Amino acid sequence: MSDAATARSWRATAARVLFSDYFVLWLCVVYVAVVAPFTPGFLTLENAGNLLATLLPLFVVALGQTLVLITGGIDLSVTSIIGLCSITGALAMNDDTGWLARSPMAMPVGAGVMLAAGALVGGFNGTAITRFRMPPFIVTLASMMGVSGAAVWLTQSKTINRLPDAFNALGGKTTIALVIALVVGISVHVMLSRSMFGRWLYAVGHNARTARVSGVPVNGVILGAYICSGVLAAVAAILYTGQAETGSPVLGQRILLDVIGATVIGGTSLFGGRGKVLWTLFGVLFLKLVDNSLNLLSLSLFTLTIVKGVVILLAALLDSLRTRLGPADR
Amino acid sequence: MTHPMKFFLRVCLLAACTGLVGCQKSETTSAGTAGAKPLTIGVAFETLQTEYWVAGFEAIKADLKKRGHTMLEAVSDGDTNRQFDQVKNFITRKVDGIILVPKDAKTCLPIIKAANAANVPIVLFNRPADKSDAKSVAVVADNFALTRETVAYLVSEAKKAGRKHKAAILIGDLGDINAIGRRDGFDAAIKGSESVVEVVARIPTEWNQEKAQAGLVNALQASPDINFIFTSSDFLLPSIVSALKTAGKYHQIGMPGHVILGGFDGDATAYQLLKDGYLDATGVQDVYFEAAQCIQAVIDLRAGRTVPDLIRDPGFVIHQANLQQKAAQMWGAQMSKK
Repeated sequence: MSDAATARSWRATAARVLFSDYFVLWLCVVYVAVVAPFTPGFLTLENAGNLLATLLPLFVVALGQTLVLITGGIDLSVTSIIGLCSITGALAMNDDTGWLARSPMAMPVGAGVMLAAGALVGGFNGTAITRFRMPPFIVTLASMMGVSGAAVWLTQSKTINRLPDAFNALGGKTTIALVIALVVGISVHVMLSRSMFGRWLYAVGHNARTARVSGVPVNGVILGAYICSGVLAAVAAILYTGQAETGSPVLGQRILLDVIGATVIGGTSLFGGRGKVLWTLFGVLFLKLVDNSLNLLSLSLFTLTIVKGVVILLAALLDSLRTRLGPADR
Repeated sequence: MTHPMKFFLRVCLLAACTGLVGCQKSETTSAGTAGAKPLTIGVAFETLQTEYWVAGFEAIKADLKKRGHTMLEAVSDGDTNRQFDQVKNFITRKVDGIILVPKDAKTCLPIIKAANAANVPIVLFNRPADKSDAKSVAVVADNFALTRETVAYLVSEAKKAGRKHKAAILIGDLGDINAIGRRDGFDAAIKGSESVVEVVARIPTEWNQEKAQAGLVNALQASPDINFIFTSSDFLLPSIVSALKTAGKYHQIGMPGHVILGGFDGDATAYQLLKDGYLDATGVQDVYFEAAQCIQAVIDLRAGRTVPDLIRDPGFVIHQANLQQKAAQMWGAQMSKK
């Protein structure tokens, strides 16, 4: 093969890589290859287990954000929903003062209460956005504040432990958490790629007006997306609370940037109409790899925050570049 | 033409090879130091948001360096689950011991259990865990006794003034056992002196400066005759000063209208206010004592020696009368020199 042909072949490969669905996964691999030699304990089975345990709840909550972003909205209240669900579940289940203390039904009913709380807040967000035509940013920002305040008020800032072992296992045992995350991930994937509702989500995100004219129930679709986001935040709350073995009104309060960051890094558009389960998984994986490696390097908080910010910015920049240069149907 | 999937597999293979080299390197290093005495200790703080935690962090770092040990550091920025990850990372890196500042007394229990399961000694700096089957050592100030002593001094100053005082207390996050100890110490000191000091405002701050300022401004509007304030932490002093200035009640000790002011921690702001004559007294936690005790506890636990579950920092009260004498022991005074 001539030099020119070889160069063309490499350029074509590079273009395929840059514009493929697996771009962020490749970014992860390159990151691991670059960082692993300098990071003690990075490529060990033990660390892989740790990484997986931290990745799963973030993946679940980011899936909800993906659905909302596909419609062209944003859900800033997910972290407060996690806190509220954590505390309502703990109030119901704890062995000391819970309504269901030591009952065999404590775990399923407690988890059900958490899911219902998530759906309720999601439903409120969706209703406010569709009924009153309020901007999603303001609605979810306000409910973030309100829900967070309610969670703190419910327990007067206190945390609640002595939760049923069966509940703690949901988040504490990585294999169970993995099964939950897989079931959720596959369900959302099937919904997005195979169901009418999934097609409607993309249609609303591309152009709500056109979708409405085409007969898509736009308000119902948006409401559904926010309810899904609330429920998925509640599932994440089950996993996080199980890991911490404690219900806390401030659980997950600091992960909003991680949730949105991971979703956007994965390739889901902030302007709607674009997003996939696999992309979100890769975005979460990339963010967690960065977090995990920087922690293992024992960098100071200040250095860690700066490095993480720069890495996320570079990844987002790269993504924006391939969006601009890439094929329109991507 | 190269297929993207093939390209991906090639890169994976390269990453795996590079990683194996990386692992081999770290194992060689570990083996090289296995027989040596220096320890590697993981230090995980929940926050570095206030001067007290920064001083504690720096004191541990300096003490470990002085003793020839290596420190791995992690700060979770208020995120419990993140702190759990960080401690698991320490365990992955085979640390010899862990010093932990947890977010609260309950959420740290799975973290302690993880360290117990890995047979890594864990010592809690300044915040003890709830009672459970998880084994840890805690080094803490006697929040109750030190606050009671500090507030008793403030009450004695109020008595000297010869008139009844109206008091406000700024309470910390009640999920933090230290905040509860300080609130109870305040109540114990006031009990029996109600004819001298009447508590008219209890302001919840959740360890938040904005909430402290807003709460105190509201309290001063509702009860403009408040003239006795105790804060559960010195890091809220700037908020108090601001609220007092707004209300026209910020006067030096001995001046008409002076509000008796007391605190807890002993930070640089408290030292400055003591020097300037605005702060009557503060209970000082001995950061250097606590840091040294934490490190010693890890070393002792590793050596199989018995260590009590709770090591108390007696602390001391610093006020206008003993300021010159005690300033050298006050960590805030040392920080203000830097």
